[in-house]
Amino acid sequence: MSGSKPLSRFHQPISVPGRRLLHNLPLEFVQKKAAGGGGRSVNTEIPLIPFIDFLLCIVLFLLASFSATGELPVDKNVKLPSAANAIDMSEAPIVAVTSTQILVDGIPAGSTRAIMEANRMQKVEELAEILKNKRELWKQIHPSPNEPFPGNVILQVDRRVPALVVKSVFQTAAFAGYPAVSFMVSRMGKGE
Amino acid sequence: MAGIDVGGHGGKRNSNHEIPLIPFIDFLLCLVMFLLVTAVWSQMARIEADAKVPGPPKDDQTVDPPKEKELHVEMRGERKFQLIWKEGTTVVNTIDVDRKEVPVNEDVTYPDLGKKIEAEWKTNGSHRNPADKKFDRAILHTDNSTEFKHVVAVLDAIYVTKREFSAGGKAEQVPAFQVTFAVD
Repeated sequence: MSGSKPLSRFHQPISVPGRRLLHNLPLEFVQKKAAGGGGRSVNTEIPLIPFIDFLLCIVLFLLASFSATGELPVDKNVKLPSAANAIDMSEAPIVAVTSTQILVDGIPAGSTRAIMEANRMQKVEELAEILKNKRELWKQIHPSPNEPFPGNVILQVDRRVPALVVKSVFQTAAFAGYPAVSFMVSRMGKGE
Repeated sequence: MAGIDVGGHGGKRNSNHEIPLIPFIDFLLCLVMFLLVTAVWSQMARIEADAKVPGPPKDDQTVDPPKEKELHVEMRGERKFQLIWKEGTTVVNTIDVDRKEVPVNEDVTYPDLGKKIEAEWKTNGSHRNPADKKFDRAILHTDNSTEFKHVVAVLDAIYVTKREFSAGGKAEQVPAFQVTFAVD
């Protein structure tokens, strides 16, 4: 072209239409891209449907474990002792023993002070009555003779309550037909 | 975006609809956050203490079962525990253990007692075979004035001792003793 008159725009040769951008960059991978020989498309779809399925599974799991993980009725006046070698909780009537009173599933069932003032082990009549009623109710719900009464009860005793009260409640529960007694405790960490 | 295409283009209104997935995902994420925040991760557990209560004799129960060795844990002393192995009413062996309590927050533990009971069981325990379905029995005696946290600490020390138990071809570590809380 040197030495000759430059062509006006009307005299430009006809060229094949196509991509023009990036053609002058001397990089091989850019040339490949510019020529339209790229491997994968840059545009991708986020897979929303599996993501929603995953979220639904989490929601269902959390809803299912919502009631089972906690919500154990711990009386605010009861400070539980802790133990390292404890086992998981089970479903059973809960007898709370505070420094002043005895409660079965939140219902008053006797006085702790009365036992301490008597200074001897004694049967707690109200507690025995309530536990017997619960036992009868269980038998009405489960009439099958193949299904024996489990006799489980969980004692939720404050850490400062004297053993005399614990023994009285323990014996009352046993005589009311609940020989499988457990004490509720806080789980102590292995490092503690 | 997910959509529903019913085909056809002749109607007045467009019959193709897009399901708004993004607000739905936002809603699900909010639900997950709410459930995670309000979940109660329970720290509650239980310690078993069976009751040995005399009942009316059964008709078919004419012969007394063979007497086995039992470990009686006496925590009535202020300075020491007593571990007493008994066969029926016969005292086989008596061991004294110093009452060294280790405070943990507001509670106490008795690690020395736990170690001693474990050593005693390894020597004198009757049911150490993994295939044995029976367990050795420990009976805890306490005085009336002892605070409950000390009772739990001793129960915890008894449950330190573990043994292998295989049931249905599956072996697992379980407490070596079945504990009875004596109400004498």
